[in-house]
Amino acid sequence: MTKTFTQDDVIRYVYDEISGEDREELKQAIICDSELQDLYKELIAIKRQLDQSMKSPSDKVTESILNYSKSLNLLSNK
Amino acid sequence: MENYKISDSKLVSLYKQGSEEAFEQLLKRHKARIYTTIYLIVKDNYVAEDLLQETFVKAINTIKGGRYNEEGKFLPWITRIAHNLSIDYFRKEKRYPTMILEDGSKVFNALEFAEDSVESVQIKNDTHSKLRDLIQELPEAQKEVLIMRHYMEMSFQEIAENTGVSINTALGRMRYALINLRKKMKQYNIAYDQDIYPR
Repeated sequence: MTKTFTQDDVIRYVYDEISGEDREELKQAIICDSELQDLYKELIAIKRQLDQSMKSPSDKVTESILNYSKSLNLLSNK
Repeated sequence: MENYKISDSKLVSLYKQGSEEAFEQLLKRHKARIYTTIYLIVKDNYVAEDLLQETFVKAINTIKGGRYNEEGKFLPWITRIAHNLSIDYFRKEKRYPTMILEDGSKVFNALEFAEDSVESVQIKNDTHSKLRDLIQELPEAQKEVLIMRHYMEMSFQEIAENTGVSINTALGRMRYALINLRKKMKQYNIAYDQDIYPR
């Protein structure tokens, strides 16, 4: 019997929340069903854009965090 | 490409044993994700940096104090700390509102760090910056699920439990958020290209 998949299943697939046999079946459905495939492509594209749009803190803040951690070592070694 | 990557839990173990290099790796690996999570809630670069520091200070104290729970995953744990601090800040700010400029920064920041203004205008035109702006425009419930799933890496089940909705509602909100963002980004990219290549 062919399983029917929803748009929400594709979301779960993209975020690795479907495993085993279901994942394999959904993968096939995405290949064969143009609507699911379009959605999949759109979701992958926006997911990539979200990853690329992450902001980085300044080097000063990063340094200050590292220094805080190191300062605790110095205290415990005293 | 990185073929071999030490797991977060291994890095935490090494850090507990005194390896500052392991901590540096953890920080390098996750700082952007955690910082973005905070920024999307507080909408201010300088506040986000303060809260990022506070988040890591708490994490460092917990790990070095031997109170870190080995069973959980590092990233969801630390982003949860960041999320809670950001929400606390946001609630306090609501009680004592400050003047917010059009770009989401506070007047104080704009005055104090005027030399950044050219850069921030440039960044404003950037696609990545635009996407972050669009996230801010999402309905609150959609934005919440997006931050929790994409940046904090919580599962849909965890999100449902934390926000008091069904898993289907959480999934639906995520779907609307992602599709809306994609549509708006497409519109923006078209406009952006036309600006670069005028007819």
